[in-house]
Amino acid sequence: MTTGDLFLQQLINGLSLGSMYALLALGFTLVYGIMELINFSHFNVFMVGAMIAMLTLQWGFGLYGQDVVLTGLPLILSLGTAMLLSMVLCGGIGVSIERFLLRPLRQVKGPAAMITTIGVSYVLFNVILLTIGSDSKNFPNPLAPIAFHIGGAVLRLKEILIWVISLVLMGGLTYFVQYTKIGRAMRATAQDPEAARMMGVEVDRVVMMSFFLGSALAGACGMVFGLYYNLAKVDIGFAAGLRAFTAAVLGGIGNVPGAMLGGVLIGLIESLSGQVIGTAWSDVVIFGLLVLVLVFRPAGLLGRIAPNKS
Amino acid sequence: MISRRSTFKAAAGIAAAATIGVQSARAEDKVIKIGFSMSFTGADAENALRVSQGGVFAFEEANANKAVKGYQFLVEKLDDATATAGQYDPAQAATNARKMVSDKAIMAALGPQMSGAGKAMSPILSAGGLATITPSSTNPDITDPKFAAQYRPAGKPIYFRTVATDAYQGPNMANYMADTLKIKSVYILDDSGAYGVGLADAFQGQVEKKGVKVLGRDRLDPKAADYATILTKIKSLAPDALYYGGVGQAGVKLAKQAYDIIPTMIKAGGDGMQSADLLKGAGFPAVEGWYATVASPHVIEDPKTKDFSDKYFARFKMRPDDYTVTCYVGAQVIIEAVRAVTATGKAPTREAVRDAIQTVSLPNSLLGPISFDGNGDLKDKIISVFQIKKDATKSLEDPDAQFKYVGVAPMA
Repeated sequence: MTTGDLFLQQLINGLSLGSMYALLALGFTLVYGIMELINFSHFNVFMVGAMIAMLTLQWGFGLYGQDVVLTGLPLILSLGTAMLLSMVLCGGIGVSIERFLLRPLRQVKGPAAMITTIGVSYVLFNVILLTIGSDSKNFPNPLAPIAFHIGGAVLRLKEILIWVISLVLMGGLTYFVQYTKIGRAMRATAQDPEAARMMGVEVDRVVMMSFFLGSALAGACGMVFGLYYNLAKVDIGFAAGLRAFTAAVLGGIGNVPGAMLGGVLIGLIESLSGQVIGTAWSDVVIFGLLVLVLVFRPAGLLGRIAPNKS
Repeated sequence: MISRRSTFKAAAGIAAAATIGVQSARAEDKVIKIGFSMSFTGADAENALRVSQGGVFAFEEANANKAVKGYQFLVEKLDDATATAGQYDPAQAATNARKMVSDKAIMAALGPQMSGAGKAMSPILSAGGLATITPSSTNPDITDPKFAAQYRPAGKPIYFRTVATDAYQGPNMANYMADTLKIKSVYILDDSGAYGVGLADAFQGQVEKKGVKVLGRDRLDPKAADYATILTKIKSLAPDALYYGGVGQAGVKLAKQAYDIIPTMIKAGGDGMQSADLLKGAGFPAVEGWYATVASPHVIEDPKTKDFSDKYFARFKMRPDDYTVTCYVGAQVIIEAVRAVTATGKAPTREAVRDAIQTVSLPNSLLGPISFDGNGDLKDKIISVFQIKKDATKSLEDPDAQFKYVGVAPMA
């Protein structure tokens, strides 16, 4: 491998990582933009998403381990169903968390809501721990092991798939926020919830929608994660979630394009610093850089968007 | 970290354990009692039965052959498992040690199976001057002179082993990889845990001495999901082998991703990789070809144990395993020590038996030459090397079926 090939390979690795962080970062940013709330349950909604996708592939399609390779319609059908189911169910979990646990606290000042999300995170973690167990699960991978060689670098089918899924979802979200009525309502609420309410925006519905979208993206990310690493485990939420949260802050929390940019940047930094300095130091580099960015641009790279406090 | 190979067998035959014992001593002979502290109930019950019968078998042979003139051996079994723990319980092991020490007829002991039990027992045995021989516990601390104040406060070693310790897995595997696998360069990873870092350090020290080029050393965060970065770096350095010191948490992810990125490189780890979790979590084909080591000899497939194996089967109607043999040899050491003491015409005492165990030499045991160093460890420390080779006829998640024995990793 030449240095150029190596750089290209790490770029591919970093982009794959980054697109997953970006998907996950969107959930933090959507909720924060509307409610100014850091939703820590997001970490484990993502993990539950990976489990739902795994169980769908196992129980629904009889896919176990890495031995079965599907093509054509069965492949699209199995992955599509797993993806859809994990998005819808995770969206449902997100909406339930908002409706039953956070809405009663909306008028409570202070960190009560945030602490509730930490509690929910533990509940989700322990439910999976008790029902599915703590060991590493072999996430089924029905994708053919197709790889393209670009010089000495290897681009695998699953990397392309992950990029495509992430791009489609992020594009869809951007369209939704920019061009639909409810999207406009979301942006209005993010700017000024009081004014939006006075102009006839149903704030409850907007909040619920932000939780649904964020959690559904976490579900999709769980599925993508499982497919990429062939792994699902009860503790995957924390490490990935923390980096995704960092990505959201780096890009400017509340800012949708910022979260995407932050995610991709964190992924690239992680892989390139691992190459140059050593993986033992990648956390130091990531969080050190975050501190630097926040010192010079406290609102993040693209600027923070949060409700005005009146 | 890990005391011995995990086995995944149902706890069957608990009832049988109580009924099998050494035939009662004849009236004219004096009785020497040997304490067996093992996990006769709970999760490891079947193991304990299989292991302890190795010792019982040796004492039965000795009694029948009158190996020690004027004396008969009597086995006293003590269970170190409790219903609350569901397996061995260090507190119960300590109680057993006290019971054995207070029974004046007990001259030596066999056991325990687990290092956790051994740590609880050794200070008590040391105070009572009672020697024990463990057939399976491999934690290095118990016999490490650094911890002598803790595990043998009375001074002399009382904890002897017929297995090696985990401290030798790294260096011996370094020898194996340099000499047998003929690697010229290696990349070393650890999982940042105490066990993993220690293993990787010990491996690195020896592999450098053997003249193998260490192309790099890095640390995995066991909670992180992505090791593609480091594996890509390793791929670009193109070493002959990858050595990983650590347990399954990072190991499972490493094995999966290494299969994608460096599928043909030689990959090896310690007993942390010798687990069902690896087979279940990473699965085939990712785990295929990985090497792992265990700090005990693997003799049961060796032709020289066939005769023992057949006799044992005839007596107990079950097949022995490696730890049956280590326990059998442990019992032979005790018999030899008692014989040496009584041969001088003296009545055996604990003190004399302990001193005799220290100097026993069995040049041709089923495990090879047996003699102990000044800490109670074997002089010849045998580390067994296993390699994962898919056997589709058996359960793909059963370590006993999928890890194939490939040889001994030699000492320096």
